[in-house]
Amino acid sequence: MSNSSILVVGGGFSGITTALEAAEVGHEVFIVEKNPYLGGRVAQLNQYFPKLCPPSCGLEIQFQRIKNNPRVHFFTMAEVVSVSGSAGNYTAKVKIRPRYIDEKCTCCGECAKAASTSIVDDFNFGLAKRKAAYQPLLFAFPMRYVFEADKCSEQERKDVEAACPYGAVNLEDKERTFDLNVGSVVMATGWKPYDVANLENLGGGNFANVVTNMQMERLAAPSGPTKGKIVRPSDKKAPKRIAFVQCAGSRDENHLNYCSYICCMASLKHAAYIQERDPEAQIYIYYIDLRTPGRYDNFMRKITASDQVHLVKGKVAEITEDPGTRNPIVTVENAVTGIKGKTEFDMVVLATGMQPSIAGQGLPVHVPTDGDGFIIGDEAAGIIAAGCAKMPLDVMKSAQSGTGAALKAITSVAGR
Amino acid sequence: MSQVERVKPDLQFVKELQKVGGESLKKCYQCATCSVVCPISPADDPYPRKEMVWAQWGLKDRLVNDIDIWLCHNCGECSDMCPRGANPGDLLAALRNMTYRKLVRPNVIGSWMSSIKYLPILAGIPALIYLLIWIARASVLGTAFPLFKATEHGYEVAEGGKVIYGGLFPGDYCIDLIFGIVAILVILCFYAGIKKLIKGFDAMPKTFVVGQKAKPSFVESLVETIKYEVAQHTRFKQCGGDESTTTRVKGHMLTFYAFIILGIVTSAIAVGHWGGRIPGLDFLHAMGDTPLPLYNPIKIMALVGGVLLLIGIYKLTKRRLNLDAQKHGSSYYDWYLLGVIWAIAVTGLLCVLLRWTNIAVLAYPCYYIHLISVFLLIAYLPWSKLGHLVYRTMALAYARKIGRLPMN
Repeated sequence: MSNSSILVVGGGFSGITTALEAAEVGHEVFIVEKNPYLGGRVAQLNQYFPKLCPPSCGLEIQFQRIKNNPRVHFFTMAEVVSVSGSAGNYTAKVKIRPRYIDEKCTCCGECAKAASTSIVDDFNFGLAKRKAAYQPLLFAFPMRYVFEADKCSEQERKDVEAACPYGAVNLEDKERTFDLNVGSVVMATGWKPYDVANLENLGGGNFANVVTNMQMERLAAPSGPTKGKIVRPSDKKAPKRIAFVQCAGSRDENHLNYCSYICCMASLKHAAYIQERDPEAQIYIYYIDLRTPGRYDNFMRKITASDQVHLVKGKVAEITEDPGTRNPIVTVENAVTGIKGKTEFDMVVLATGMQPSIAGQGLPVHVPTDGDGFIIGDEAAGIIAAGCAKMPLDVMKSAQSGTGAALKAITSVAGR
Repeated sequence: MSQVERVKPDLQFVKELQKVGGESLKKCYQCATCSVVCPISPADDPYPRKEMVWAQWGLKDRLVNDIDIWLCHNCGECSDMCPRGANPGDLLAALRNMTYRKLVRPNVIGSWMSSIKYLPILAGIPALIYLLIWIARASVLGTAFPLFKATEHGYEVAEGGKVIYGGLFPGDYCIDLIFGIVAILVILCFYAGIKKLIKGFDAMPKTFVVGQKAKPSFVESLVETIKYEVAQHTRFKQCGGDESTTTRVKGHMLTFYAFIILGIVTSAIAVGHWGGRIPGLDFLHAMGDTPLPLYNPIKIMALVGGVLLLIGIYKLTKRRLNLDAQKHGSSYYDWYLLGVIWAIAVTGLLCVLLRWTNIAVLAYPCYYIHLISVFLLIAYLPWSKLGHLVYRTMALAYARKIGRLPMN
């Protein structure tokens, strides 16, 4: 039986956009999101382009649209296990992990107080720890806690259950699977930051004061582990001299053999974060080519007009650490002056690139991908790629890509 | 208006460079990773990033006179880390190959040395010379595979005698005369080459060295270079850090000192042979009358040298075969040198074994090939990769003199 409903795999910015655009013209849409919340990578940012809004702003509007649209159904902590069938008639098997906390939750936080197990916080890229019972993020949608009961002792589970004043902790919660019948599938599986452990010459993630650009977002975020203070992880001091290493693992055939599109702008944005907090801080951006597409060039000019922001053409190819001060030391050849030297900084930010989330993993859907793991899609089969699953994009272009994917999905199921 | 330097690209030169091993130079996007990861590149104007852009722009004058190509010992770290697979290490090797090919006249030998298709010509020359000698001697001796018995004034052909190479190919005019002429020609070629090389370096802008003490003379610089870079492989040892480069240093060291030992052996025999003819110095005969007995120290040195050469060349070849071909190309210049040294070492030791076993039909052809291989190594030296022995030494000494390299 043909079906005009659409499955959207991934509830980040492009997935949400696809779902809303399709639902608002009358299609039944299902979003399947792996995390306990919607919003994806955008939710982890401090501010996002083009207007440097906090993510809560843009996402809040989308969440309202979802709430107000009965045709959008979403599942968090869920994964598509397999998709079978053909264009217009797919059966998707969806698996939902137990959340152990039901809709009665008011986010009062009593469960987190009762929980004792502490877990490295992936949301903050390892910069902090969290409890086994936690609120995924400040403006989480759905606004509900998660309890990782599997990681706790019997006693802790009971304590957490007893702590909830609303009886929202349900230790009987089980993993469940169900089928969805849809006409088209949109793959909006997004991206992950490239693993710095592979960048051995840049410290491989072993130097305390060498952070990634996504860690920088969390340091700058008011809801982040430092409440928005940009500090060195080693001693929590505000850095006075900061270096940005562009193309850390991007445009490099030994790592990601493509330009991740966003890292230059991200570093310029981080320069703005630092200047807001300390106008005297010295900022060095080491680049191969500074890529500031379209009107972003104006932003670059604004940032680099400051005497404190220095652009140096030359890739950082080596980072060492002063064992005493734990200051990172970068080695660069300035390709303009032809002088190679070592420079010491308080903190170094690696502008790591985007890797498709599904890179190195199997896909539940039969769909062509390129050599890097980006999904090409198969429009004839009604399987469409959107957002950063397809190519590296900024938030604005992800939204555009989501709208485009919605149109393609609609075309594919139209008249069925 | 400020001075504008007009770039005059030499496209033909770029193409030639690509042919001699720099194929991927156009992939470079000037990120300067190479200059940073190079363990021996200096801080001011480090290589090989600048060479990559010069090559892309076709700045032939800068490249052919660039002293830095000799400062590179090609560990390949730059090519390993290059994000674009532009293989800067290969480009510098290609530039050195270009020097071997073009620096010294006659240029025709340079082009013959650049491709395997001319190997028959290069090998044909000594093959013909020694074949003619062989034929002439065979007609005199009455056999092409003679066995000899020692007499008071030399050797004579005798039934049940021994294989004696000097009997068939007498040293006086087979070895000493031919190689003497060849050596003189090679030295003259090198002299012209060194002059041209240094003239080229002189034409380039100099590094301004702040606070350098009195400039060292060229001789002082050369002495330092021989003492450190040549004798101890000082820079070569700092070049690269992985296992493959350690193997390379060991292999090169062994090969180099094996040749030194073999060189001493050859000189000792020549001194013994010719010196022994001077009245009053006949005791020198013991050193020059080949074949030497096994207990003779010179003989022992020769065997040790031969074995060391085999070990060294084995290490170097194994490493080169194990290189990732995507990252590190091997050119004909590399294989020519390895091949010729293999031929010399293997035929050299086989000749000893075949003489002991007295198998004339195998021993003389083996010796014949040995003579050809030695000729291939020595006669074409200024146009081969082995030319680096002279060019690199001179370049490093010059680099010291102008302050590009520090004095120790």
